[in-house]
Amino acid sequence: MRTLPIFKRAKTEAFLESAAKDINYSSQWKLIYMKFKRHKLARISLIVLGVLYFVALFAQFIAPYSLQSYDSKYVNAPPMTLRFVDADGKFHLRPFVYELKSARDPDTMRKIFVSDTEKRYALKWFVQGEEYKFLGMFKTKLHLFGVEQPGRLFMFGTDAMGRDMFSRIVLGSQISLSIPLVGVGISFVLGLIIGGISGYFGGWLDSIIQRIIEIIRSFPTLPLWMALSAAIPPRVPVVTMYLYIVIIFALIGWTDLARVVRGKFISLKNEDYVVAAKIAGVGNTKIIVKHLLPGFMSYLVVATTLAIPNMILSETAMSFLGLGIRSPATSWGVLLQEAQKVENVALYPWKLIPLGIVVLTVLAYNFLGDGLRDAADPYKK
Amino acid sequence: MLQYSIKRIVMAIPVVIFISFIVFYIIQLPPGDYVSSYSAQMTAAGEIMTQDDMDQMRANLGLDRPVYEQYAIWIKKIVFEGDFGYSFNYNKPVIDVVKQYMGLTLVVSIVTMLFQYLVAIPIGIYTAVKQYSAGDYFFSGLSFLGMATPNFLLAIILMYFSYTWFGDPLLGLFSDEYVNAAWSWDKVVDLLKHLVIPVIVIGLASTADLIRVMRGQMLDELNKPNVVTARSKGLSETKILFKYPTRAALNPIVSTFGWSLSSIFTGSTITAIVLNLPIQGPVMYKALLGQDMYLAGSWLLFMALLTVLGTLISDILLAWLDPKIRTEFRGN
Amino acid sequence: MKRSRGFMIALVSMVVFVTGCFGGNNAETSKESKAVESQKPKEAAVAPGEAGGGKEAPMLAELVKAGKLPPLEERLPVASDIMIEPVVEEIGQFGGDWNMSWKGPADKWGVGMINEEALFRFNKEGKAVEPNVAKGYEVNDDSTVFTIHLREGMKWSDGMPFTADDVLFYWEHMLTKETFGKKIYDAYYSVDPVTGDKALAEVKKVDDYTFTVTHKYPSVQFLERVAIDNKWFFAPAHFHKTILPEFVGDAKTLEITKQWGYEDPKQFLVETGYYFWLHPEIPTLAAWVAKTDANSEQFVMERNPYYWKTDSEGNQLPYMDRIIENQIQDPSQQLLGTLAGKYNFATFDTANFTVLKENEKKGDFRVIPWTQPTWSSAGVQLNQTTKDPNLSKLFQDIRFREALSIGVNRQVVTDIVTSGLGEPIQASVPEGVIGYQEGWAQHWAEFEPERANQLLDEIGLTKRDKNNFRMFPDGSDLTLTVFESDTNKSAFLELLKKYYEDMGLKMNVKMVEGGALFDLKYANEVPIHTENISVANVAFRPDTMVPLRIITPWFGHYGLYTQSGGTEGVKPEGDVAAILDNWNKIKASKSKEEIDQLANEIYKLHMKNQWVIGYAGPTPMLLVASNKLRNIPEGLVWADEYRTVGHAHPAQFFLKQ
Repeated sequence: MRTLPIFKRAKTEAFLESAAKDINYSSQWKLIYMKFKRHKLARISLIVLGVLYFVALFAQFIAPYSLQSYDSKYVNAPPMTLRFVDADGKFHLRPFVYELKSARDPDTMRKIFVSDTEKRYALKWFVQGEEYKFLGMFKTKLHLFGVEQPGRLFMFGTDAMGRDMFSRIVLGSQISLSIPLVGVGISFVLGLIIGGISGYFGGWLDSIIQRIIEIIRSFPTLPLWMALSAAIPPRVPVVTMYLYIVIIFALIGWTDLARVVRGKFISLKNEDYVVAAKIAGVGNTKIIVKHLLPGFMSYLVVATTLAIPNMILSETAMSFLGLGIRSPATSWGVLLQEAQKVENVALYPWKLIPLGIVVLTVLAYNFLGDGLRDAADPYKK
Repeated sequence: MLQYSIKRIVMAIPVVIFISFIVFYIIQLPPGDYVSSYSAQMTAAGEIMTQDDMDQMRANLGLDRPVYEQYAIWIKKIVFEGDFGYSFNYNKPVIDVVKQYMGLTLVVSIVTMLFQYLVAIPIGIYTAVKQYSAGDYFFSGLSFLGMATPNFLLAIILMYFSYTWFGDPLLGLFSDEYVNAAWSWDKVVDLLKHLVIPVIVIGLASTADLIRVMRGQMLDELNKPNVVTARSKGLSETKILFKYPTRAALNPIVSTFGWSLSSIFTGSTITAIVLNLPIQGPVMYKALLGQDMYLAGSWLLFMALLTVLGTLISDILLAWLDPKIRTEFRGN
Repeated sequence: MKRSRGFMIALVSMVVFVTGCFGGNNAETSKESKAVESQKPKEAAVAPGEAGGGKEAPMLAELVKAGKLPPLEERLPVASDIMIEPVVEEIGQFGGDWNMSWKGPADKWGVGMINEEALFRFNKEGKAVEPNVAKGYEVNDDSTVFTIHLREGMKWSDGMPFTADDVLFYWEHMLTKETFGKKIYDAYYSVDPVTGDKALAEVKKVDDYTFTVTHKYPSVQFLERVAIDNKWFFAPAHFHKTILPEFVGDAKTLEITKQWGYEDPKQFLVETGYYFWLHPEIPTLAAWVAKTDANSEQFVMERNPYYWKTDSEGNQLPYMDRIIENQIQDPSQQLLGTLAGKYNFATFDTANFTVLKENEKKGDFRVIPWTQPTWSSAGVQLNQTTKDPNLSKLFQDIRFREALSIGVNRQVVTDIVTSGLGEPIQASVPEGVIGYQEGWAQHWAEFEPERANQLLDEIGLTKRDKNNFRMFPDGSDLTLTVFESDTNKSAFLELLKKYYEDMGLKMNVKMVEGGALFDLKYANEVPIHTENISVANVAFRPDTMVPLRIITPWFGHYGLYTQSGGTEGVKPEGDVAAILDNWNKIKASKSKEEIDQLANEIYKLHMKNQWVIGYAGPTPMLLVASNKLRNIPEGLVWADEYRTVGHAHPAQFFLKQ
């Protein structure tokens, strides 16, 4: 390690002449944007997240089936293969699936599925299916794709109640990608403000805030949730109930961030440039926003992008404890919790597909965070 | 510094008292009490529990008294007799229950924590120094994978693979023949074998967090003027790396280190349940669910003490690591 | 589905065949029990010649050799009083551990039932009792005086003699003094058929091995009810004399309580007097006795050197040396442990059927299904006395119950919920179990949504709200709220919600923790619950079918009314009152025939009213045993009344080398 490769890299990374010219006159945000654009993985991640959120927004339209399309005939069916070549070796331009026939093994009672090569169902765009409300506005039966009745399309197989896993994953993303943002948002704002106050002003205010944080942190969350979920009347839908729980969670969870923010403020507020600003009579708010926050922006970005996937995961843990979302309302946590039975890992491994989606989302969030971090770093060129 | 520490400790006392009450109150917040959950369990097992039986039991256990009275008795005993009360579930004094599980809890926690820090800090430094290298992507990807998989699911999958590949799902911390056996070399080997999955599962999640934070911090610090100055003075790269950026980058890790003291005891509860680890987490989880309140209460109180203590340690460590904060303390 | 039917038929016929076999055995044993004095153990008399070697476990023989244990003959009862336990397959071999998983000391009965020695136990069919700890009995003509004989020379697990004094001690100083937290059991009361007067029995010692129980009024079912209520009608006097306050004084009991690590003396006496099998200090009559603290990760029970049963060749039972209960925290561990061969015996419900069956060969185990006397594996109970007057009126309307029953497609529910192992039938007593009624399984079992809607309209639920859900005629909201604590029921509840809402009935599920649900039940706050009824014979154990006290969701506070003698709760009327009436007649009845006939009336009333609606038929209990573990009977009935696995007489299980 003779020279820090970071510098070597910066040198070798040839700046475009024109860009260099612009840089001198660019605002901070533009700089960030330009630097972010150069982070390839972060860009890909942004696209992935964009797709995921787009799918979540139009989930009802994209999912071929609803959350309540139980079917005892197709219990635990493996994923279907989309085919182009039929049993006779004939090629079809339109991909198709065969009709699925099922019977139970008389000895083990396992559902055994056989493709009936006589009956083909071609994949079609814009097919009529179950009715739903498009973006909550008007009723329609149109779905993005599917196969004609009575054919079935199970791209990711089915669950123990015969529901299409693909549809459940798509529909589940609505909860999993939105509610965590609420929780992280609340924690972030509280943590930043309270931690900032505590660190910047110090003294007795700091002492009191720190003691309050200690008290809040020792709240036993499990009985709190149990009490809460028992107190909420049964007519409140599970999703709303889960939102309440997440908010409560956030009202406790901000303490971690607050503590780190405080530490940073304490260490930064005695930097020469801050002291100088103070002497020059700059107001507290301005000092915090202009001089202190940028100093650890990167930490905040990393912490937040890590917090979102953590919230997605903590939802799965809540489902494990029986406090989270409950089917038929579906989130990725519900799907993972259903998958965690030994028999599923052993017999029906396609139920682990949601895990892949969760991993993808978490990865995307983290690489995005990486990119933002690098972009926000004022020292880096 | 010493004065500051003493002041902090004195201030902690009312906080702990307040916490003890809050904790005791919240434990009893969910509907039902120990007797109702006990009766539900016994009834499910076929035993007949009449209202009289339950009333009698409540009277025996002192559960018919109001909450504040129960709290007063409990606290009085803790303060004057060092008696933390009695676990209904275990039919033992709370201290005995905690003692029974403490040894193995410490083993699991310490091994996991060592694993975390030993893996995370070097990888964090490495990925920062070699940013965007193949190694960076590899370790980043791996740490994300570990973080993105829910613990309980990872535990089940690893146990299942362990069963299919080695014929043994490695449940618990010991093979059956060693559970009640005296300590021997074979037992230690057996324990180490059983520790592999828990350490991976529990360790991986926080390792990923640590790697990310460490890497981010290092990147911030690497370009700071002090590093540039040091380099211009001709100091060797390794020396620079460990003298300035690493120390500064450890700051946020250290400021939450104190808290990881308590989280290493409780954070792994779900994993411990899935892996059948005989440690405190699941015991407390059961105590909370069944409202075995003296056990749960004492434990939570202990955790609160650790949090308070951890914050204190963190503050002192921070001061040691960061000269700027040191002056702040002196100023106090 | 057709194939699965075939499987079920095969299963059922197997059950019938096996029970048939045991039926034959049973006739013999009951004959024996009537004529105990003439019973001649065939082998024991020849035994001494070849004793020493094969007749006792090697681990005990060693102790005898070392002089730490008296020889076998001195440990067993006198030759004529040894109980000979028939083996299921073959004479076994000594040694080995019975390895199982358990949920820890919270699951007291899980380890208790398999290792329990009742005074009288149920025979294989479960229709009558046979002697066990007792050698036999005589009863006078009007069923008021029961003379019970004990086994001479029988000993507690610490070597002290077991005599009628132990029975008398238990009766006089523990049961009637209520030292262990239970009221005197119903079985000990007899009822005057005319006045309804209840009288407590009298227990008297005749000699060291004989005692009598005398009732004021006839008590035809006394032995059967004792076999359910109070199997252990005895306690080691020499032990309890050292801890009961009556003998040592309150101060000393408190001191002992603290010594044992307990807090409260009363709770201590409950633990030692009622859950005695968990404590190594307390002598028992069971095949295995506790050796370690039940709270430890591994609860070990070791063979009782003084066990009083042998096989037909005079080998002292049990065959296996130890029971090892490994604590687990999650059911998946039991499954993984069983697949990996860590546990050589386990029981599962049908959810795991496929994964177990597919691994039978690889794991070298076998799956043995036992029938359960359960009415259904998925169903609902409608609380007839639920607090909302509109709702309780609705629940009491037989047309509403019919609508709920026929508005659900049982075929779908059964296929999804039971993995095809159940039948799409109504909640009813399964064939082969006492109380079976022709046609009950098909009662309101067809899926007829149009008729269901028509019935609901007829009742007057014609008004609809903005979501098209039905409302009460007075315009108030109609919501069916199911309270549930078991997350495994979620699939069933989802399907139920779909079908109910298809009928226009709004349904909500409220998940609550088990203890909280228990409290809600007592407070009559649970309108609908999914508990399944499981009862081997209503005449033996009426709690779930007759509203005697609060426990079963369907009768809610009717039970409180009976329990409180009419001061609280809701007065039963109509068919519910008729059920109570029949029950009172059973209690005062003078003959078994009359009891059977009255019990049948109760079953018929349940069939007519269907307060409990089933949507999927019962499924078997799966016993999974290593292929090395032998002598496990097939196709018995799995019931709490018969002590689950205890019904298979585990003392004769053995590990084949």
